[in-house]
Amino acid sequence: MRRFRKKLGAFWQRRRLDRDLEDELRFHLEMKAEEGSGPLEARRRFGSPSALKEACREMWTFVTLETWWRDIRYALRTLGRNPGFTTVAVIALALGIGADTAMFTIVNGAFSWNAGLDHVDRVVFVSTTDATHSQEFGASYPDFRDFRTRVKSLTGLAAYSTIPVNVSDGSGLPDRYWCVQMSANGFSAVGLKPMLGRDFAPGDERPGAPPVLMLGHHVWQQRYGADPAILGKTVRVNEVPMTVIGVMPTDRRFPEDTDLWMALVPDAARDKRDNRSLMLFGRLADGVRMASARSEMDTLARQLAAEYPDADKGLTAAVLPVIQITGLYSVRPLLAALFTAVGFVLLIACADVANMLLARGAARAREISIRVAIGAGRARIVRQLLVESVMLSVAGGFFGWLVALAGLRWFDAGTGTIVKPLWLHLSLDRTTFVYLAAISIATGILFGIAPALRLARIDIGSSIKDGGNGAAGGTRGLPLSNALVVLEMALCVVLMAGAGLMIRSMLKLYNTPIGVDSSDVLTMRLNLPKAKYPRPADVVSFHHRLKTQLESLPGVESAAVASNLPRGGWEEFNYELEGAAPIPGRSPRIGAIVSSAGYFRVMRLTALRGRLFTDSDGAAGIPVVIVNQSFASRFWPGEDALGKRLRLVRGRVPQPWLTVVGVVPDVLQNFRQLLERDPLIYLPYQQEPQRLVFVVSRTRVPPATLAQAFRREVQGLDENLPAYDVRPLEDVMSQGLSVRLLAAMCSIFALIALVLASVGLYAVMAHSVSRRTQEIGIRMAMGGTARDILQMVFAQGMRPLALGLGIGLVLALGVTRVLRIVLAGVSPFDPVTFLGVVVVLVLAGALGCAIPARRAIRVDPVAALRRD
Amino acid sequence: MGNGTLVQGTLDMLVLKTLTRGPMHGYGIAQSIQQISDEVLRVEEGSLYPALHRLELDGMIDSEWGQSTNNRRAKFYRLTAKGRKQLSKEAGEWKRLAEAIARVLETA
Repeated sequence: MRRFRKKLGAFWQRRRLDRDLEDELRFHLEMKAEEGSGPLEARRRFGSPSALKEACREMWTFVTLETWWRDIRYALRTLGRNPGFTTVAVIALALGIGADTAMFTIVNGAFSWNAGLDHVDRVVFVSTTDATHSQEFGASYPDFRDFRTRVKSLTGLAAYSTIPVNVSDGSGLPDRYWCVQMSANGFSAVGLKPMLGRDFAPGDERPGAPPVLMLGHHVWQQRYGADPAILGKTVRVNEVPMTVIGVMPTDRRFPEDTDLWMALVPDAARDKRDNRSLMLFGRLADGVRMASARSEMDTLARQLAAEYPDADKGLTAAVLPVIQITGLYSVRPLLAALFTAVGFVLLIACADVANMLLARGAARAREISIRVAIGAGRARIVRQLLVESVMLSVAGGFFGWLVALAGLRWFDAGTGTIVKPLWLHLSLDRTTFVYLAAISIATGILFGIAPALRLARIDIGSSIKDGGNGAAGGTRGLPLSNALVVLEMALCVVLMAGAGLMIRSMLKLYNTPIGVDSSDVLTMRLNLPKAKYPRPADVVSFHHRLKTQLESLPGVESAAVASNLPRGGWEEFNYELEGAAPIPGRSPRIGAIVSSAGYFRVMRLTALRGRLFTDSDGAAGIPVVIVNQSFASRFWPGEDALGKRLRLVRGRVPQPWLTVVGVVPDVLQNFRQLLERDPLIYLPYQQEPQRLVFVVSRTRVPPATLAQAFRREVQGLDENLPAYDVRPLEDVMSQGLSVRLLAAMCSIFALIALVLASVGLYAVMAHSVSRRTQEIGIRMAMGGTARDILQMVFAQGMRPLALGLGIGLVLALGVTRVLRIVLAGVSPFDPVTFLGVVVVLVLAGALGCAIPARRAIRVDPVAALRRD
Repeated sequence: MGNGTLVQGTLDMLVLKTLTRGPMHGYGIAQSIQQISDEVLRVEEGSLYPALHRLELDGMIDSEWGQSTNNRRAKFYRLTAKGRKQLSKEAGEWKRLAEAIARVLETA
């Protein structure tokens, strides 16, 4: 303690301490000199006075702290003296660190998402299938009831289904939400509790029980202003009055980004064993492993299949961790690939800065030699140089933070709400900051260590003498520099190959016509509740009135309804073709678009054969159907499709025959990533009225300008009916975690990498040329032509480039495989892309060599030889 | 030690012992040790001054600036109570060790 006080005192009077030391030692030397040995002899015996002083001083000071501080100040001064180098290095590092941090935030958000659960690893989904519904994912209520009473490996098995609902009450305009109908044990099964009010009770799921509603936290906040008196209030959900019993805590939206929950009450339709409309989930009982739950559910499914052979023939049950059924799970490899890509960018930035440091080592060799000569230990030199590089990377980290912020904002805007749902909370939080700080310091050490060690090993004598032109900056540095360039080039090839494939894939997608004219079309969604529109005729009549209203608006050319938008999937039906051999027990499935007569006009679709729908189709006359080109050529190749018949099969009951009256061109209904043209049929809307539809309108004015007017028209017809997703068709088509976004991300990474790698090559070549100035001078004096010199420089530069290219191509071929899931119509080994990468990289490399080469041929032999 | 230089712990003890004769500056301490040991022990300045400063920081000795015999400003070191205690402890141990070594050398 006392020691500390003494040191502290000395700290405040550092000057005096130094002076005292000086005086004390001078006194000693003078005494010695007087004693007779003479000043020279005295000094010789004394050894290095500065080392001695240093030793004493260190005792009095907070050595570590003070020397660190001194190192940092010295580093900042050195960096400040080379603004050019410092700027380039900091920019390179900021780009690398920034991109890495942004990507880390995304990956971290995606991988740490917990589905709004506390024990996400213990919660499982159970999906059941039977022999006839090979693709279906549902369980029936009776099956669920049996599973629930028999299962032992799960604590609580719950069932739910999701429905879109319209909510209306006195609290503002009607809204549309996703509502989960869930067995009363749902929350308790996975350990969730409401933050206000009560959980569902077994009484709530009994038939005839008063309907109750649980609100999601965000609904409570946004629609009801976080009103604590909400409990017990009545809310109309799809026109059914329901009592609010509770509010869930924030971000607890299990099972599917849910807004509202109601009790799942089995009615007559639900109680059929072959009505498979429910998803099942539960929590593994304590100590039970996934495997034992799997085998138990499997056994139970087989029991049911044996007990109810009619409905449950071939029933199977699969148990999956909850994480695996989220959309997130499938993009994990992709995110990992992108994270690796930014890692490469950062590595390239590091290699770049390391190379610049190595090149600068030449200039610094003399300074370092002098410091070693006057007594600085090598460890001190290394430390000093590392402090310098860490200062650089910390500055890079600071600006990288800004880069990350901008990058995340851009990613946020690019993904919208559709694919980057609630699972991603993209914020630069504490975890991110710690990560940023860690990689900032780590990169500083990573790129600084090799140059520092090299500099500290220099041969003092020779480097002082030759002015820093030899030793550290000289030939010994080159293999390392070249290796770094090879590394940069190789990583660059991988990034560029990835980006190139994404771009090619994107071009392919955007050059593939969808098949409709998507400009000047406004779309919106409506969901007519059964309570208010009980009969199909009510639905049809509502849409008829709406169409009349919309078409009377100025600027609207025509309006129609359809079950799906282009690229928006389809409805599925079981069906049979007339004349085809029936498949016992199951009928094939076909995708169908249910549309009103005006749909084709709105989408600018014309019939290839036959006719389009008319207003009377489905209402009068024989039932009709339109097929697309793929359907016609797949099922009636070489025949005329017109007049052929098919029929839908509902619950194994065949419906009336439908006659093909027209053939239309293929429209891409599939999600954009898949370019397959699927066989599809179109059904007249009045034949298959839908409650949940898209309203599409061709407009004569920019479609977005009509959005408010459309909403008003809907409200005019039904004040409780929300019109949602009102937006131009083009906006709908361009959204999603699209290939476009991925292509843009990869391209940015690749571009940064390319620039950095070229700068890296340039730095090495420039350094090498300046080091070889003398040699070049001699060659020229001996009669070497500019051509010879150029050849020499390019040969030297192209060697690491070629090696990097080779290694990179091999790596890339291995890596691009990961991209397969997002590539549309492009092979991961697309030769065009790889060729392009080679060409671009060689050009960039040539540019990197050209400037130093030009300098080389301008070397004046006389001046070069005189230089020393 | 072979050529008369001193290892650290020993030097500390000799410095403390020398200072029992009164306040002394660094040069004086070196001279004194050399003379008393009949020039057998040579004190290197490179070791002496760090040792003095360390002892001062540890509170074994105090220092103040004063006039040397030839009227120069010099830093004088003085033994503290703590230093005296430390010296007697170290000297005792040293004596026991020296005797032990001597006995071994005589009998062997």
